[in-house]
Amino acid sequence: MRLRNLLLAVACSGLASGALAHGTETHAAPPALALSDQVTALPWKLGGAFELVDQTGAPRTQTDPDGRMQLVFFGYANCPGICSAALPMMADAAELLERRGITVSPVLITIDPVLDTVETMGPALAKISTDLVGLTGDREALSEAYDAFQIDFEKIMDDPEYGPIYAHSSHIFLLDQAGKVLTLLPPVLPPEQVADIVMKYAGS
Amino acid sequence: MRKQLLMAAMLLPLPIAALAAEGERIQVRGEIIDTWCYYSGVMGGPDAVTGTAHHTCALWCSAGGIPVGLLAEDGQVYMVLKIAGDDASAGGDTQLRLASHEITADGLLYHRDGLNYLVVEEVVTDHGITKLNHEDYGAVPPFAIPKPGK
Repeated sequence: MRLRNLLLAVACSGLASGALAHGTETHAAPPALALSDQVTALPWKLGGAFELVDQTGAPRTQTDPDGRMQLVFFGYANCPGICSAALPMMADAAELLERRGITVSPVLITIDPVLDTVETMGPALAKISTDLVGLTGDREALSEAYDAFQIDFEKIMDDPEYGPIYAHSSHIFLLDQAGKVLTLLPPVLPPEQVADIVMKYAGS
Repeated sequence: MRKQLLMAAMLLPLPIAALAAEGERIQVRGEIIDTWCYYSGVMGGPDAVTGTAHHTCALWCSAGGIPVGLLAEDGQVYMVLKIAGDDASAGGDTQLRLASHEITADGLLYHRDGLNYLVVEEVVTDHGITKLNHEDYGAVPPFAIPKPGK
């Protein structure tokens, strides 16, 4: 466990500085697989109802108020680890999709309601993208969302620079307008590939 | 405690194709990789971001929440949803212990959106770290190796 704490601390430093997420030199990555129609149901039930509040204080459930599909990620607004890669990717994918005529809401549900309050989430997320929706709430309300999406997380340590550091689930969920889970997406995919996948579910 | 409910009958709503009833049992041999660096290309080409050259960075990325994958001998990548004994897809003790290791895995394969997802039910054999490429590439990236404390 001490090894993991050390690694996480170093990883956080690397991701937060952009060193891991945004290297200046890129190399040929393996080509993305063509989207196939082969689909297997996952062995878990994912998704369900929740009642939270967004960064403006407005209540929000699993149903998108604007009738959009949703990309939902569980993390925290100033997380220096995987969130610093996943949240910009979600915002980029949403922007790509908007250009293709499909509006999608990128949503962060916090795993730390003390850190992420109505007052603090907006400014922190705006540093990444003003399109991001941040959801928080009391622990009971958040627990319902965690249970519905089978989210696990564990506080690893308090970093003197970044505050609380968590190890947490990192897959992104694609929800329809009513909040039903359509699929899950690894946070390592490029925004173009995520946009292509979302378009298939949008029927485009 | 993760509430992993095996409810294959309760299928996710999928608009695209007929659903297979359950995952396909497979046995596959390959390296446990850092999927972020492998797919993004930011740290080097596929050969440089595997094996001993990338071991330290793979540990960092897994600890930071990057899901691990299994790079099979035929080049297919399987996104690992969990590994026997550890429910996490990243950062768990098992994922860290097996980073860069070549393993033979027995598990259930799921196909979605052109991606392969693997639930490793058993690590049949841990072959250890078999790709010794640090002499070819050095540490990838070089800053993966922490500098000595002042």
